[in-house]
Amino acid sequence: MANLWYLIIADPVLNALIALSHFLFDNFGLGIVAFTIIIRLALWPLTKRQFSSTKALQNMQPKMLELQKKYGKNQQRLQQEMMKLYREAGINPLGCLWPLLVQFPIWIALYQAITRALGTTPENLLELAHHLYSWKPVTEAIPLSSRFLWLDLGQPDHTLILALIVGVTTWVQQKMTTPPSIDPRQQATNNMMLLMMPFMFGLFTLMFPSGLPLYWAASNIIGIISQYLLTGGWGYLRFRSPTQSVSVKTRKS
Amino acid sequence: MKQTRVLLAGILFLSLSLISCAPSSAAGGWAGIAVEGDLLYTGSLDGKIVCINATDGQLRWLYQIVMASGTASCGETLVPSAIYGTPLVERGMVYVGTYDGKVLALNMVARQEGLTFPQKRYGEWEWSCPTANRGGNAIVTDLVTSGSAIYVSCSNGKVYSLDKEFGDLNWESDALSERLWTSPALHDDIVILSTFEGRLLTVSAESGEVLPWSFESASGFVSRPVIYDHTIYIGSFDNKLYAIEIGASEPLWSFAGRKWFWAAPLVVGGRVYAGCLDGNVYAIESRTGKQLWRFNCKSPIVSSPVVAGDVLVVATESGNVYLIDVETGKGERVKNPSVDSRPTVDARVRASLLVKENKVYIHAQDDCVYRLGVQDMKVEKLFCVRDVKMH
Repeated sequence: MANLWYLIIADPVLNALIALSHFLFDNFGLGIVAFTIIIRLALWPLTKRQFSSTKALQNMQPKMLELQKKYGKNQQRLQQEMMKLYREAGINPLGCLWPLLVQFPIWIALYQAITRALGTTPENLLELAHHLYSWKPVTEAIPLSSRFLWLDLGQPDHTLILALIVGVTTWVQQKMTTPPSIDPRQQATNNMMLLMMPFMFGLFTLMFPSGLPLYWAASNIIGIISQYLLTGGWGYLRFRSPTQSVSVKTRKS
Repeated sequence: MKQTRVLLAGILFLSLSLISCAPSSAAGGWAGIAVEGDLLYTGSLDGKIVCINATDGQLRWLYQIVMASGTASCGETLVPSAIYGTPLVERGMVYVGTYDGKVLALNMVARQEGLTFPQKRYGEWEWSCPTANRGGNAIVTDLVTSGSAIYVSCSNGKVYSLDKEFGDLNWESDALSERLWTSPALHDDIVILSTFEGRLLTVSAESGEVLPWSFESASGFVSRPVIYDHTIYIGSFDNKLYAIEIGASEPLWSFAGRKWFWAAPLVVGGRVYAGCLDGNVYAIESRTGKQLWRFNCKSPIVSSPVVAGDVLVVATESGNVYLIDVETGKGERVKNPSVDSRPTVDARVRASLLVKENKVYIHAQDDCVYRLGVQDMKVEKLFCVRDVKMH
């Protein structure tokens, strides 16, 4: 099983990263950014579906508001009607999770590739020899320099700059794709998720070798740009949730 | 859907936390063995310097080395520090470099009495390599000594000369590399260093001043330099072994393997014996680079070969040990004492081998020390560090 993991995912990721770095002026940071672009392109069909779902959900907001008003007191019926609405519109509400799930093995492979490619310990460096393809661009690139901008890609970044970039971009991207809800409990969950994920990834940035958070940051920025271009706007970033509007109005009155 | 998202986020959090909060050094390393009289000294895989009586396998003393690990967010803990170099034993003292950037001078009497470290009245001292750049300050190489000085390569890219008696700093070099992970070599009054950036540098052993001659290669150097007959023999990341005359601008020759020559070559009697990660050991004529013979050990060779009489001893990552005739290149695998089909020793061999009185001492990655009789081709497990008991 471990051999299969290395054969199919980990070794191709490792060698692709090293070869990309070699072509990009032997710069491992640029290699990671280029790798991120390639991964985002490979995941494009899934991402496009996710964006379409987001846009469709946005368009369905008036209908959903109606349902909320009509069945607000009967949660079970409300859920059934909403699922019916999703079905009719051809939307899978869990569809947005696929790009995240697909990326998870890539993150693990990338984590392994970064620590191994940079040879952060003598064991890692020795192990690297066993996982390298005999391509010239790969053999010529070793050993890689871990420096990129202010970062040591093999060590966590404790300056907080990368953590902030990762946190903010995670929040923006998530906010752009999270539809608001009239149900206060659901909205509370939404709000919690909106804060928890950026906080979590910001925290991980302080723990992981900064090559991995660099991938997250680049991936988020590409995601935000693609979302903006494809849906023609900032999505739900500027959208005020119906519950918020209601509560504000109530307080004013 | 919301519950699914929360659950997914929880799983993600837990998984990433487990990966990221794993200690940065759960020890490891591959310390070789030093022998003085009947006593063996080595660094264990759990960060202990141990002194063991080779005749009865009894522990004489041990000293545990620990280092701080973790991050502010995960919490700092003390974990054993890895030891990669072979202890240097001289006149009742044991010198060792550690992964947390320390050089320790341990006195055998003070350690046997179990006194707190360091006991200055016993001549003990501790020196820390400064963290001068992003390379950290780990010491992953052998210490080299000459006269009253000890020379240390540090991951911060500098080489240091320390006073052997008091641990005072004699000099520190300029930053020579992003990180120095290869042991220095001494030649007359010159310290020779190889770098991952592909440079061979010469430094005055007296003052630490960088000397004019250096050699630049397109690929980084992976092994420590070995000097023989005014020539440096060294392995490179481009899968080649180079011979470079000191003072020359072009290599004398280069020899291509199929993987890195990680292990430093052994040069003796006009021949270079080089173990390669491609699983072969090559015998090469030292002046011409001509291959004399090749022996396939079928597993990567990390540990440098040694010669005992006219027999070349090679240990591999698979745990097999081979005895090869230096003239003919014909060799034989040493059988496992219990089951023929199993590797010679029960674990990978990465640490340097030691030859003493026709016996070869092997510290394998199961933290056991094996003794191989070159004449009778018999291997015995002397002791495992985890099992030894205090005398």
